[in-house]
Amino acid sequence: MSFPAGTAAARDLASCHTCWKLVAVGSPRCPRCNARVHLRAHDCVTRTVALLITATILYIPANLLPIMTTETLGVSQDSTIMGGVVLFWKMGSYPIAGIIFFASVMIPVGKMLALFALSWSVWRKRATQRHQRTVLYRITEFVGKWSMIDVFVVAVMVALIRLGGVLTIQPGIAALAFAGVVAFTMVAAQGFDSRLIWDAGAGEDE
Amino acid sequence: MLMANEQGMGRHSSLRNSTSVPKDGMELTKDQIDRQIACHECDALLDLKPLTKGQRAVCPRCGGLIQVARDDHLTRALAFAISGLLLLPIANAYPFLGFERGGLENMFRLPQAAQILFQNDAQFLGIIILVLIVVLPAVLLALVLGLVIPLIRGRNAPWLIPAGRLLYGMNTWNMVEVFVLGVIVSLVKIMKLATVVIGISFWAYIGFALCLIGAISHLDRLSVWQAIDRVSSR
Repeated sequence: MSFPAGTAAARDLASCHTCWKLVAVGSPRCPRCNARVHLRAHDCVTRTVALLITATILYIPANLLPIMTTETLGVSQDSTIMGGVVLFWKMGSYPIAGIIFFASVMIPVGKMLALFALSWSVWRKRATQRHQRTVLYRITEFVGKWSMIDVFVVAVMVALIRLGGVLTIQPGIAALAFAGVVAFTMVAAQGFDSRLIWDAGAGEDE
Repeated sequence: MLMANEQGMGRHSSLRNSTSVPKDGMELTKDQIDRQIACHECDALLDLKPLTKGQRAVCPRCGGLIQVARDDHLTRALAFAISGLLLLPIANAYPFLGFERGGLENMFRLPQAAQILFQNDAQFLGIIILVLIVVLPAVLLALVLGLVIPLIRGRNAPWLIPAGRLLYGMNTWNMVEVFVLGVIVSLVKIMKLATVVIGISFWAYIGFALCLIGAISHLDRLSVWQAIDRVSSR
């Protein structure tokens, strides 16, 4: 495999993932921080896609099943993620409806689509729009954890209501599925090696 | 496409002239390698130049941030970390949220929240709260202190390297600010059902979260590893 001129890889140097020290290719560990060194996370596209598929599958029960069940005087009521958004919207709490919709629907869906597209472009060795793709990756990495918000909301609600004793709130299986979606997409984003975006098309355009 | 790439390089290097692309074609000596760095986002091989305070080094190829030279970054990180350390016990040992009924307050503390969840068939939520909200932030704060204090004193310490690896490795999972927003959302939700009492720990946790984020944001990765290099080679 050839690397574009001007890269560390083209000079047989690998960059430590942890402390960014340059290490000659072939050394197993970084002399500064002792972390494992590899030139590229080569199977990273396969791994990213595998994690993304897992997250996508989990996203279905996360939306269809109840994220929490409210029980008042023997009457229980299930609420899904979208149900919560609609409820807040009807109550007139538009900012809260917006936050939950953004964090629970827009961010995870957008993130999964973005990572699928990035993996596809790297797999096809596309050499165009590198800046745009790098920016897309940075955004994906940055926003990921914000989708955890709904899981924290459920946790705080359940803990609070248990304390009150008037009504009970049971966390639904969707909360677990959704936490899984967030965790898997975060690991997928972290594992994706953005340098592969810049490796493609070595010798063609440089 | 070639044009776009070259324009991109020109634009960045003219704006922030603190990194440059080394010439190809000669063997690099060990000394030269030590003064170079590969952009962690696109692998461009760059010469490292010492920055003056307030400068940022940006990769001319992809625009990735290489290094930020902040004024007294270690001292400021320490100031934030000490404030966080003062707020941490308040955030954990005092009431967080609760209800008031008939003049009696029924409140829970943050570690108790995990316990309540655990005892009520919400084990995984309990684990999430315990690990992400109680334990991990405290560990991160300890790592910041463990790194910054020896580096400021210019002393080597056996834990510097593992602490650096752990801090930058675990910080991605630092969700204190997400939790704070989540608590605010649940307050809005629950205010419709009952009157909620906000405890002192709620405010302390917000302060702690801001201090932790402030401390970590001052610890520029490359500058910290260069500082570790300096004290460990002494």
